[in-house]
Amino acid sequence: MDAVRLMKELRVNYEQEVDFLPREAGLDLIVSAHGGQITARSRDVTVEDLWSLTSFFGYSTQSFVQAVSLLDRFLAMMRVQPKHLSCVSLSCLHLAARVTEEECDLTPADELIRIGQCRFTASDLGRMEKIVTEKLRFKSKAVTALTFLQLYHQITLTHATYRKETLSLEKLEAQLKACLCRIAFSKAKPSVLALALLRQEMKSLQSEDMLEISFHIQRHLKIPDAELQLWSEWVARRLSDYASPKCSKPNHRKLQWIVSRRTAQNLHSHRSVPELPTIPEGCWDESESEDSGEDVMSSGDESLCSSLGSDAEGPFFPLHLRRQYLAA
Amino acid sequence: SVSCSKGQVPLTSALGIPQPELFLKKLQQCCTVFDFMDTLSDLKMKEYKRSTLNELVDYVTISRGYLTEQAYPEVVKMVSHNIFRTLPPSDSNEFDPEEDEPTLEASWPHLQLVYEFFIRFLESQEFQPSIAKKYIDQKFVLQLLELFDSEDPRERDYLKTVLHRIYGKFLGLRAFIRKQINNIFLRFVYETEHFNGVAELLEILGSIINGFALPLKAEHKQFLVKVLIPLHTVRSLSLFHAQLAYCIVQFLEKDPTLTEPVIRGLLKFWPKTCSQKEVMFLGELEEILDVIEPTQFVKIQEPLFKQISRCVSSPHFQVAERALYYWNNEYIMSLIEENSSVILPIMFASLYRISKEHWNPAIVALVYNVLKAFMEMNSTLFDELTATYKSDRQREKKKEKEREELWKKLEDLELKQSPAPRSSHSHSLPLQPCLPRARDTGCGLWTSTAPLVS
Repeated sequence: MDAVRLMKELRVNYEQEVDFLPREAGLDLIVSAHGGQITARSRDVTVEDLWSLTSFFGYSTQSFVQAVSLLDRFLAMMRVQPKHLSCVSLSCLHLAARVTEEECDLTPADELIRIGQCRFTASDLGRMEKIVTEKLRFKSKAVTALTFLQLYHQITLTHATYRKETLSLEKLEAQLKACLCRIAFSKAKPSVLALALLRQEMKSLQSEDMLEISFHIQRHLKIPDAELQLWSEWVARRLSDYASPKCSKPNHRKLQWIVSRRTAQNLHSHRSVPELPTIPEGCWDESESEDSGEDVMSSGDESLCSSLGSDAEGPFFPLHLRRQYLAA
Repeated sequence: SVSCSKGQVPLTSALGIPQPELFLKKLQQCCTVFDFMDTLSDLKMKEYKRSTLNELVDYVTISRGYLTEQAYPEVVKMVSHNIFRTLPPSDSNEFDPEEDEPTLEASWPHLQLVYEFFIRFLESQEFQPSIAKKYIDQKFVLQLLELFDSEDPRERDYLKTVLHRIYGKFLGLRAFIRKQINNIFLRFVYETEHFNGVAELLEILGSIINGFALPLKAEHKQFLVKVLIPLHTVRSLSLFHAQLAYCIVQFLEKDPTLTEPVIRGLLKFWPKTCSQKEVMFLGELEEILDVIEPTQFVKIQEPLFKQISRCVSSPHFQVAERALYYWNNEYIMSLIEENSSVILPIMFASLYRISKEHWNPAIVALVYNVLKAFMEMNSTLFDELTATYKSDRQREKKKEKEREELWKKLEDLELKQSPAPRSSHSHSLPLQPCLPRARDTGCGLWTSTAPLVS
């Protein structure tokens, strides 16, 4: 697509994005909620689970982003009980996948539920999908940060084709995914969030000419500096957290490990207390028979590895077996 | 033959009061061995011997001051006469210790009491190894060890206790015993693959290893590497695996620097055709990992997880399941977490592939758990690997498509050509160099499709 058409499309999406923003008041309620209601933490954990499932089933980032958009809009509109949260989120994913993925790549509902280790049935899921569709008047794909990210990426490349190798859309998508896992970013306008991500990456690539293009986009869409600056800071902080090892401590529900009966029987079957009492080796053992062959076996630890099964030396190895052993 | 006089004098008629002469006499009487294969002969005498043996057992248990120097040789003689015998050959050459019922010892009613007696004798407070060592010598031990090949598990159990006590009390015999056990195992592994007493001997070794002084003697380390590790290769591993694994873990708890040779040894002998054995190896490996030091872990993590990656992909669901279950082990998880940048790339491809391809749904669910754990451990690396994996898959798909199209083009070409004349040197199409078929696992050298010459 040429530059002019891209810019036009950009404009169109920019005008439509407002329709797909979750109600800010609803989001605030979630952020300030305590236990007994859906909190920011529980929403974030659910979205992370959605990402795990997306990744596991090979769904595209688009499915994930669409699902999160549906989820946030629904949660900001309806008072959902915590026990229904997983059902709501899974139905959003299923809905999103249906309009995004190929028919042959769709995972059936009961498999989704089984892998997601959820407690509800496929018919529960179906009913929830209907509710979500109705309430959100869901017809087709929403305009999301991913929409803008893809457009920005294309626009940048038309102006700087030599950068095709370095400005990776995949990396940008992964970073977007990282941001969407935090409810704070649900308030951002998708066009602004995407631009903030784009600029962050361009800065890390230290590309002045690409940053120039991003300014161009900003001016075209008339995005205020302050707003862009604010979200750029949030994005930078989130990405640095995401990359740091601190991120690695999961503290939500433990996953179920279901193994077959036979394997379960074999587990820990060895951990039996030995019946025979320990016989301490004494230093007086040294004075025992001459044929203990200690003087020969003074090889260091390093040779233990290499000598594994490779020689049959020493009095430790009875003569008549050496031939056999070497032939083995 | 024994002369049975009526009204035998019971040994413990006066409880606790030693009757050394009577003791010796009864010992001598019990030297006679009866034939139990003939179930009808000498029933009265057999019963008499049985009750005498019972008396002897009680006598050494409760008496004080009964053990004179003369008793020692008589005891050893009586025990030797009874237990040392040529073991009957196995019923059939195909005796499978894992499947078939063992042939039990017919003379067990007497034999058991002799063993019982001997053990109490050895454990008696009055027992003096300094005297006994004249009679319980290397020759005795050698014959004792041969008995461990008995098919009767009850006998082996008693022998285990007997040898354990002898090892404990006779310092001068220890090196000899270890050497003989060593020989038995080596013969077992490299010559016969037949010996019924491996588990019992390993159990004794476990209690010996547990008592090793630090630093470990070189002899012991060699034993670990040259004998215990190769023991894992034997077909009948399941009969003694628990005891073997225990010995291995004890060694590693004594000297963690042995971890690397042990694990490399296990990896070297990793079962390739027997899934049951693979499951055993995985169990043992987990026990080793339970006690491993982080510095040792880092040394072997690469080859280790390459093997685990293969296990996880195994079509045998029990093997895959057992390997995946490692991720439910908290300590192993903490080690993986610390080294996720090394381990994740090794595991990633197989995990991802089997999540799509494995036939067993339970395995797929476990893989999800593992992938999710990795995702949370190291998100950025996971994203990178996912992207690489996806692009690799895209490229593969593209290549496959190109290949298919090329074949189709060639097929179309062939149809347009005129049929080949019947000559051994003509081809309807020129030879194309090495076009491998999509799923060809062979050499794949493409030759012409000319009809075969008659």
